[in-house]
Amino acid sequence: MPDATLAATPARDKVRAVDFRGGGFAPKTRRWVGIAVFIVLIGFVEWGTQAGWISALTLPKPSDVLATFGELYASGLLFQHLGPSLTRLVVGATIGASIGVTTGVLIGLFSYIRAGLVPLVAAIFPIPKIALLPLFVIWFGIDEGSKYALIAFGTFTPTVVATYGAVDNVDRTLIRMGQSFGLSWFSIVRKIVLPGAMPGILSGLRISLAIAIILLVAAEMLGAEYGIGAYILQAGSLYDLERLFAGVVILSILGVIVSAAIGAIERHLLGWRT
Amino acid sequence: MTTFNRRQTLALIGAAAAAGLATPAIAQNRKVTVGALRFTSHSASFIALERGYFADAGLDVELKFFQAAQPMAVAIASGDVDYAVTAVSGGLISLADKGAIKVIGGALSEEPGIDGQKILASDAAFQAGLTSPAQLGGKTFGMSTAGSSFHYMGSKVAAAEGVEMSFKPLQKVGAIIGALKSGQIDAWSIVPHIAKPLAGSGDVHIIGDIADYLPNYQVTTVFTSAANASDERETTESFLAAFSQGVSDYNATMIDRASGDEGVDQMVDLIHKYVYTDRPRDNAAPSIINGTMRLNEGAALNIASVRDQLEWFQSEALVDEAITLDTLVDASYVNTIDA
Amino acid sequence: MDIRLDGVGHAYGDFEVMRDITLDIPSGRIVCIVGPSGCGKSTLLRFIGGLERPTSGRILQIGDPPPDCLNPLTYVFQDFALLPWRTVTGNVSLALEDHRIGGAEAKAIIDDVLSRTKLTDFAKALPKQLSGGMKQRVAIARALAVRPAVMLMDEPLSALDSQTRELLMDDLIGLWTRTPFTAVYVTHNLAEAVRLGHLIVVLSRRPGQIRQIVEIDKPLAERGYADPDLEDSQKQLWMLMREEARAADAELIDA
Repeated sequence: MPDATLAATPARDKVRAVDFRGGGFAPKTRRWVGIAVFIVLIGFVEWGTQAGWISALTLPKPSDVLATFGELYASGLLFQHLGPSLTRLVVGATIGASIGVTTGVLIGLFSYIRAGLVPLVAAIFPIPKIALLPLFVIWFGIDEGSKYALIAFGTFTPTVVATYGAVDNVDRTLIRMGQSFGLSWFSIVRKIVLPGAMPGILSGLRISLAIAIILLVAAEMLGAEYGIGAYILQAGSLYDLERLFAGVVILSILGVIVSAAIGAIERHLLGWRT
Repeated sequence: MTTFNRRQTLALIGAAAAAGLATPAIAQNRKVTVGALRFTSHSASFIALERGYFADAGLDVELKFFQAAQPMAVAIASGDVDYAVTAVSGGLISLADKGAIKVIGGALSEEPGIDGQKILASDAAFQAGLTSPAQLGGKTFGMSTAGSSFHYMGSKVAAAEGVEMSFKPLQKVGAIIGALKSGQIDAWSIVPHIAKPLAGSGDVHIIGDIADYLPNYQVTTVFTSAANASDERETTESFLAAFSQGVSDYNATMIDRASGDEGVDQMVDLIHKYVYTDRPRDNAAPSIINGTMRLNEGAALNIASVRDQLEWFQSEALVDEAITLDTLVDASYVNTIDA
Repeated sequence: MDIRLDGVGHAYGDFEVMRDITLDIPSGRIVCIVGPSGCGKSTLLRFIGGLERPTSGRILQIGDPPPDCLNPLTYVFQDFALLPWRTVTGNVSLALEDHRIGGAEAKAIIDDVLSRTKLTDFAKALPKQLSGGMKQRVAIARALAVRPAVMLMDEPLSALDSQTRELLMDDLIGLWTRTPFTAVYVTHNLAEAVRLGHLIVVLSRRPGQIRQIVEIDKPLAERGYADPDLEDSQKQLWMLMREEARAADAELIDA
């Protein structure tokens, strides 16, 4: 039997296990490492500033930043700053994201709207929205209007692009299926296109909302007496590094919260994903 | 005993200072970077460079231009710029507190009788009755940032009138002008060469003078890094001496008109190389002449005004209460005026 | 309700993909369409269902669909086309929602079709939790829910492994035996065609034309796995198609 001879001939040589070479390249969850990096970094800066080889001009002492944060909280100023900022963020981002999603869906659904608006969106996307702030002040007033407008405008464009991309990526066979069952146009949009585009829309929102937080500081450049952005700008102009860092930490925390919130929404709405 | 008025005092001090300062041993062609804004108030540096006063003092000066006072202060702290002139602000005081910079002399001063900084009102607010600083109560006042000189001036005016105003931070002078013209803010204060053309357009009205509220206001100061002030004494003295020559030329020509209109013309030509360079000379000349304010002879420093400013910043909790005048100022270089 | 294809032809510009197809689909029968790849089987199915229009010829409905029929021409797709965000029940009810059927009536229909496709225990499961065979059962249940006059099945078993395919074929035969339905069943798998088809339409390679219509008399319920009669029919069909398939395979795409 030829199969048997094949197995028999190369025998009697040395025997050893096959080398394993399939390791690595498979990321695993290591939750504590991220926290450890933070602690080591902050500890290092604290040591450096205490010992004096990091000058007060270079970096503030982390412990002083914490103390500044404590004072801010104790004096009630924290909420005096946080209140207006959160309002601006929520109102601006809601306006921008809802108009953005609507426009994105319309672009995704209608060829004429796509032909008309996609070049326009591409044209306004790279404009630094901060550059338009003085214009917004003329259009919407120096008070809350211009701040809402800036944040709304900044969140609008990335949301539009993410949304129409998401609508384009909805599985066409699902739409065909809807048509084959005689679903109305409106039903197809509501029951197939929108849920199908939701993952893309949400990941777009992740980016848009981070941009909204960035723009918060810019929005509070003009005419804001209170607000986290105003607080940071004032600290910057006063060279008060402790307050500057305290403000930046607040923005970071805000970013983490927004990201976690979207993560929770994703888990709730997108549990169907594999 | 002869009594001197303030002008005479300043002139005497200046002369003495110039005499004293002109003597230091000539430094050996040291490379020095001087920060400047493209404002007429920085003319002393331009004159000292153009007329070779810096070179005579053994300094190889390179001018570095900035868009705003704030980054210039940072550049001094980082060592990119050696000397500069700017207004006292919260940021400057904080940098001094961190051991980065020192104020070593004075430049622009308010002086009764000479056109100084103006208090402006928007047309809308003016029509609604804001015709003098006494009506500023409840109005909005523009400023670049909290702790800027605008904030200081506005607060002082409001305090003197016994009224409360709200301050709107707008970061840039351009943004403040836009907001004032469109009536988004009610009032502001600014140097005359900006105030007068604005008032001429009719969108804005001049309703008062800062000099009436802060008669001897030391608007701008000469400052350097703390290291230069303590370790580079010779270079710093050379710089101040050359700078003071520029100041003398400027005051003599532009304010006292020592060489008549011809002298003014020549000076305008010189300054126009640096200021309003985007405008033709004839167009720029009135603005340059309008912007004339007295620079302190011998870079003398009005220590009383600086102290008042420091105390105000501390009272507003904009800077640390523990900061002393000595932290901010190195008074060993120039004569000081304590009045 | 019968369907008649009358001289159907199709071309993309100068590129002719189908020519003069005339065919009757009688009520209560399963008509299988087989042919080499690229002969336009699936396109033909989309014409019948009204999802695409042929460049020439007509698709005709003869007679009215039964009165309780909600969606006369109903598809079952190769890749199931289930909404991944809806449960099994939700996917079935999707087809009913636009027909203003809700509440108890909808529930009765859904319960009925789920039990007919043996899915009752999976009513609350999401598609991601189901195997390929289960997913296709859900798609079949959804199609049955609208009580179609004609089921249009586009390679419904091609995405499944061979064992699951056998199981589902048995299920389809069971469904038809209990309540006969009309179906057009497109496949490239001859074994499926001889198991399920009353009529087998053999198409030529592009441009697709009808080469032959084979009728298999043996009742569906009596056909089984590895049935010698069916093996013969399958062999016959393969002889018919072999050269066409070879030629189609050797063609350059877009040449």
